[in-house]
Amino acid sequence: MAIEIAKAKPVAPPDSTPVDPAYLKIRDLIYRISGIYYSEEKHYLLKSRCERRMAALRVTSAPEYFEHLTIRGNRDAELRLLLNEITIGETYMFRHPAQLEALRNVILPSILQAKGLISLKRLRFWCAGCSTGEEPHTLAMFLLEEKDKLLAGWSFEILATDLNDNSLEAARAGIYGEYALRNTSDAMRRKYFKDVGNQKLQGNDLLKAPIRFERINLSDDSKMLFQKGMDVIFCCNVLIYFDLASKRRVVQHFYSNLLPGGYLFLGNAESLFQVDDSFRLVHFAGVTAYLKPTAALAGGGKK
Amino acid sequence: MNEKLQFQLRAQISQMDSISTAPAILMPLLEMLRLPSDRISLEKVVELISYDGAIAAQCLRLANSPLFGRRQTETVRAAVMALGLERVRSMLFGLCVNRVMPQDKWVIPPDAFWRHSLGCALVTQRMANKIEYPEPEKAYLAGLLHDLGFLVNSVLYTDGFRECLRLAAEQHLALHVVEEQVLGFSHCDAGQMLCEHWGLSKELVDAARCHHDVCLLPKAGPLACLVHLSDLLCRVRYLGYGYEEFMGVDLGGDAAWQALVRSYPALEHMDLVRFTFDIDGAMDQIVATVDAVFGAKTMTAPASG
Ligand SMILES: C[S@@+](CC[C@H](N)C(=O)[O-])C[C@H]1O[C@@H](n2cnc3c(N)ncnc32)[C@H](O)[C@@H]1O
Ligand SMILES: [Fe+2]
Ligand SMILES: [Fe+2]
Repeated sequence: MAIEIAKAKPVAPPDSTPVDPAYLKIRDLIYRISGIYYSEEKHYLLKSRCERRMAALRVTSAPEYFEHLTIRGNRDAELRLLLNEITIGETYMFRHPAQLEALRNVILPSILQAKGLISLKRLRFWCAGCSTGEEPHTLAMFLLEEKDKLLAGWSFEILATDLNDNSLEAARAGIYGEYALRNTSDAMRRKYFKDVGNQKLQGNDLLKAPIRFERINLSDDSKMLFQKGMDVIFCCNVLIYFDLASKRRVVQHFYSNLLPGGYLFLGNAESLFQVDDSFRLVHFAGVTAYLKPTAALAGGGKK
Repeated sequence: MNEKLQFQLRAQISQMDSISTAPAILMPLLEMLRLPSDRISLEKVVELISYDGAIAAQCLRLANSPLFGRRQTETVRAAVMALGLERVRSMLFGLCVNRVMPQDKWVIPPDAFWRHSLGCALVTQRMANKIEYPEPEKAYLAGLLHDLGFLVNSVLYTDGFRECLRLAAEQHLALHVVEEQVLGFSHCDAGQMLCEHWGLSKELVDAARCHHDVCLLPKAGPLACLVHLSDLLCRVRYLGYGYEEFMGVDLGGDAAWQALVRSYPALEHMDLVRFTFDIDGAMDQIVATVDAVFGAKTMTAPASG
């Protein structure tokens, strides 16, 4: 009567020590300001990020640190520093496979079907806040792999934008080390990259062809107005830096930039709750996205 | 489902010896599951468990497992206290059902089935708490029981149901849709009849019957709606039936959501994304619990203790 429980992952015992309520307040503050949310089980992460800032400030208790974030004179600066701490950590290719699965399995088939009725077989993607380019390069690989399958007969382009000139320059060069490529298979490396020595790989022409880089400040209304006809927009881990009013503005731009039936993806732990309710929240396997409904679907219900 | 088929299925269920003669502790157990956990007496639970040697052994083993810090637990009473009532309840239920399920009849892999059922139970209960539904324990039970019809189909229509699962997995479709096409009925019908056969309350029967289509009810009851929504949430959070479904779910646009919002205005202001994050966060816990309680090996434990 062998009973095996060894396979089960050890988890915190049900009676683990409760969190300091000040961290719950910090969690709610972060969520309200940036839309980034730490679930109960992720508290240890929030705690360790805060502790780094607390060490820098020589603050020893969470309630005291909460004061620094809310009532001390330097609170805005401190909040920004904490946000930097939270969003720190370089990005890498194929970081959000669930987004790509949702594209392949559900989103693209439905967009292709709707657009197939019109003659122009072209898709437009936008990576807004692309930083050093991991995101658009990943998307390019994904789309190129589907070129003869799902996307047979279709053309596509990726607009990749950021505000930061240094990041954009790095993105254009497309030279990546092991960290950025950690989730990229050997087959993909061989197909889309060339060795440039120093243990670095550079995206080849095949990979770069569909991507167009451009400097766009998401708060620049005049520029935002011109990015029309998008099918899917990725804006991951960018809006966290925005206050509510500017976030709303950007999201409204995205809404009008998208074609009906198009989708907006945010970062893994971001949310548009109370930011915008024109989009419809849609759950896919392991990921959520925001749909700009087609006229028939618009209105009614909870967004 | 046509009348003839309905009649036939009902007759088959009542004659299904394994399920109709459920272990003696199942009925008192279901009775107990319905109560809020603070109204369950520890003694009663210990007594129930002690009836059955195999189940008692299981409890001890689990309480002594690394998951619970390898305490030296030697009595059923201590084991129940170490495990917590919530876990013990779902474990007992699972063990009873596992006992009546012939091992070679499982079609959906048992660990997938239990992850989904327990996941739904927990999500239904959390959602019930969010909207201040008066009986969150009942919501838990409704979630736990909602897919029992799958087990009926596995036992009575093993080959046909296997074919359903194969087709659904191959085409990434919802299982109940394929069941309708292949068998002429779904686990919702079978689950309804089993729940009726067991004499469960009308609300639980309705939840089993309508959890994929709340519009079947003239006035969608909150339990059926809650279960419907948690079932969807679980399926898009990797707690489905063990295969990949291609689906995009607009919960807010769902008929069940809208029916619930009419009765529970609190729902209108619920932050669904945040709720999903909470579920994501709890996922490891759910999976670990299910694996510990119902893990593949555990299930084959023979009935001797
Ligand atoms: C944390 S990175 C996100 C990189 C990538 N999208 C990801 O998810 O891994 C945030 C990026 O947003 C950019 N950003 C911040 N404010 C911006 C603005 N107003 N307009 C455009 N980009 C902005 C930053 O330059 C930075 O590259
Ligand atoms: Fe079901
Ligand atoms: Fe289900």
